[in-house]
Amino acid sequence: MTMEVQLLRIDSRLLHGQVATNWAKALNIDRILVVSDRVAQDVMRKVLITQAAPPGIKANVITVEKMIRIYQDLRFFSLKPMVLVEDPIDAKRLVEGGIKVETINIGAVSFDNSRVMVTDTVAVSPEDVKALKWLHERGIRLDVRKVSSDNPKNLWKSLVEKGLVKKA
Amino acid sequence: MNTLIIGPTGSGKTYFANKMYRFALTKEIVVKKGFTTFNCADYAHNPQLLMSHLFGYVKGAFTGANEDKDGLIQEADGGMLFLDEVHRLPPEGQEMIFYFMDHGTYSRLGETAKTHHADVRLICATTEDPESALLQTFVRRIPVTIQLPAFAQRSAREKLQLLQRLLTLEANRIHKNIRLSEDVVQALLGSVTYGNVGQLKSNVQLVCAQGFLNSMQNKDEIKLRFDQLPPNIKDGLSHLANNRQELGKLTRLLEPMMLIKPNFKRGMPEIDSYELPYNLYEIIGDKAALLKDEGLDQASINNFIMTDINLHLKSFYRQGKLDKTVNSLGEIVDREIIDLTKEIQQFLREKENYPVRESFIYAMSLHISSFIKRIQSGKPLRNMSTDLVSMVHDYPGELQIAGKIKKIVEEHYRFPIPQSEVYYMAILLASLRSEPKTGKVGIVVAAHGNSTASSMAQVVSQLLSVDNIAAYDMPLEMSPKVALDGIAAQVKNVNRGNGVLLLVDMGSLSTFSSKLSKKTNTHVKTIDMVTTAMVLEAARKTALIDSSLEIVYRELREFAGYSRTLGKTQTENEHGAAALATQKSKAIIAICSTGEGTAKKIKELLDKILIDNLIDDITVITVSVVGMKEKITEVQRKFQIVAATGVVKPELTVPFVSLENLLQGGGESFVSLIEQINDRSLNSPYSLEQSELLTEKTVQKYLGQYFTFINPVKITKVLWDYCNFIQQHSVVTMSNAFKISLIMHLGGAIERHLTRSEMSVDEQRLSEIKTDKMYSIIKQANEFLNRTLNITLSDAETYYIVALFDTEKKKSNTLQK
Repeated sequence: MTMEVQLLRIDSRLLHGQVATNWAKALNIDRILVVSDRVAQDVMRKVLITQAAPPGIKANVITVEKMIRIYQDLRFFSLKPMVLVEDPIDAKRLVEGGIKVETINIGAVSFDNSRVMVTDTVAVSPEDVKALKWLHERGIRLDVRKVSSDNPKNLWKSLVEKGLVKKA
Repeated sequence: MNTLIIGPTGSGKTYFANKMYRFALTKEIVVKKGFTTFNCADYAHNPQLLMSHLFGYVKGAFTGANEDKDGLIQEADGGMLFLDEVHRLPPEGQEMIFYFMDHGTYSRLGETAKTHHADVRLICATTEDPESALLQTFVRRIPVTIQLPAFAQRSAREKLQLLQRLLTLEANRIHKNIRLSEDVVQALLGSVTYGNVGQLKSNVQLVCAQGFLNSMQNKDEIKLRFDQLPPNIKDGLSHLANNRQELGKLTRLLEPMMLIKPNFKRGMPEIDSYELPYNLYEIIGDKAALLKDEGLDQASINNFIMTDINLHLKSFYRQGKLDKTVNSLGEIVDREIIDLTKEIQQFLREKENYPVRESFIYAMSLHISSFIKRIQSGKPLRNMSTDLVSMVHDYPGELQIAGKIKKIVEEHYRFPIPQSEVYYMAILLASLRSEPKTGKVGIVVAAHGNSTASSMAQVVSQLLSVDNIAAYDMPLEMSPKVALDGIAAQVKNVNRGNGVLLLVDMGSLSTFSSKLSKKTNTHVKTIDMVTTAMVLEAARKTALIDSSLEIVYRELREFAGYSRTLGKTQTENEHGAAALATQKSKAIIAICSTGEGTAKKIKELLDKILIDNLIDDITVITVSVVGMKEKITEVQRKFQIVAATGVVKPELTVPFVSLENLLQGGGESFVSLIEQINDRSLNSPYSLEQSELLTEKTVQKYLGQYFTFINPVKITKVLWDYCNFIQQHSVVTMSNAFKISLIMHLGGAIERHLTRSEMSVDEQRLSEIKTDKMYSIIKQANEFLNRTLNITLSDAETYYIVALFDTEKKKSNTLQK
């Protein structure tokens, strides 16, 4: 028995503003787990993130390793969390570590010099593409939506259109 | 109309309800002269009894119902019924009340038909969030909801007016003017913590009683002087000083002296739960006269009576607080045992003259509960180890008392208690008594800059919830003479008789030590190059009551930040022991008399909190007081002890939380403290609220990191101004953390505008938000964006900004609880 992850979301800003509140309302979640090795070491961002949690729902910032550890731990099986990661690579690490999801929601991945924009909010680097390909091959749907009421968009399609991956 | 009043403890719910009644009376809305009050918490442990009080009952409805009886609802017919703490009303009671609200009829207990009729206006009050604490069907039927703000949320002007009003009440009582200086006003306002106006009232009474005593010779007025205030109220000044903005607003409203004259138009005090049941001033006057007749000098008279006043007010004021703690204890221990323990406590106090502290109820009732359960379940008796016997040997007095407690328990339960339990009880008594009473070492942080010192002190005192830290900020232009005086005042402030550690930022200040020692008559040691990490470490070390100034000073001099200590200890005298310790798994020890019953309950409680905080690498280990030292050493071989809790404080340099604290919900903050202390990333503890420059830079950094098209260097200022605009035009106070998240959101909104990918929201929600108070203000702020950047945000984007404020508001409301 493991905990039921209600949503696994990729967003480089992790937990922020209305987005969290919106998803928390749309889904039956009782906890927000922000999974990032970098943020777990950054007191300032940790504070900002935990403060952005919607009222009544607690947010924790933990490392990828700890997420995998507590996912398997019986003591925590009653949690119904929303899991937030910064990039596709961390998402892949979680799935590799045993976390089961059918869909990964992608909010926004911010642009930097190693990345190219594939949709108006999502930028990917070559490593991201590899991770996304790996996830796609395991039958996981890659669903681009900022808030739950947006029209879903398939990231895989956009990647194909951009010629970043071959149709499969 | 029926009304629900929401507000934290002491915010004036009863007062407000009273006023509503008065108003209704003058307008002749209520016909009968009747205002009935019922506190639902009074019978919360017995819902049946509560319901019978409220609705009445018929003969035979339950055992003891020997005749028909009307309830309070009938009594209040034609008037108003005030239901305080309404969240303690069981759901079925709430259902009956809302049926009554709809139809005006109800049934007494034991009746099936709702045939009784009463015309009652209901005022309900609660300290809880009605969304979660009350049935929604119940809340929906109450048309008017009034939210009373917490004291801290009121404006500086309002706070001051409240204080003046309370002082006038006292002036009326004593028929004298009250004169008080600016710093007394500040201290009084700052002394309000969780108790709101009610607490302010108690504090005003305390200082007025004291002032009355000190100015007994003066017929016309009493003077309140800062140096005469009791320490907990003096602390109010430093509390207030920690909040510079608030202090600034207040100072602008204050004159150096405030004079309050009796004013009967402002009314005599009304009866409420913060009102003393007797005339304190008469008692003081009588007593003073009596003592004078006995030939005592003025100083000792004052001393005597002050102790008395403190006792009166404390015992009175604590009442409410204590009830609450007993309630949470009631979730773990049977009511019967708590009552029995109270009986024992009274017996010890009155008959045996044996000193018992507040923690007695906790420790003893848990102990009794566990051994009663043990005996009842027929488990084998605990054996008496030779350790136990030899330990008890040192406490013959406690053994004797324990024997008497045994008799009380035996009489109550009518079965024999084995002798071994008497021994355990003796140990428990001894350990409850032996806690040292001397004060902690105080800490004063002094640094150059307008808020450097106070923000460091604030971070640490919040993090560790300690009260032995004071700060002194020194603007660069401040003269050394002024600084010395200022620091000296703070040294006095935190001195608890065990010396004060002064942490300063520059070497030149370290020469102050000897001057300060002389000036304040306090042992002062100075360490320079202060950092937040160092203050944190100092607070942690001084939190151990028996740590001496010398030891803390020596240890801190060797302290070089959390990040480096780990590497360094390997080469130091500990020969890698510390490094090894970090590889051991972590443990919290829970100490109780036997290490079985009580400690197991504590363990369950802590385990639950640990899981809730997702901590999977700390084990809770139970330890008995008997052979405690040996057991702890044994635990230390396998584990790294990170914290302790229980009936006694072990001699370890780890955070300790008392049982009372743990059961009152202190466990949560305790665990997060442990987490933070053990977290090595804390080498840069960070105050978000520290300075504007910093946050503006941070914002810029984050904007650059997360957005693609907008130019952070240029846009930061604009968005910062946007926040300030909202702050100026509304009552919202924004924390820096909220400001950052708002700016990040705005950055997103602008970028979405530029890329034409604005967010959407359905029409209904959009129209709902247009009535929100924030809506028009945000519209205006958007107008400002339009002027500077020529960007118009869509309605949907505006919706999300309003919603952001809404969420923040809700959150700060839940935090208030």
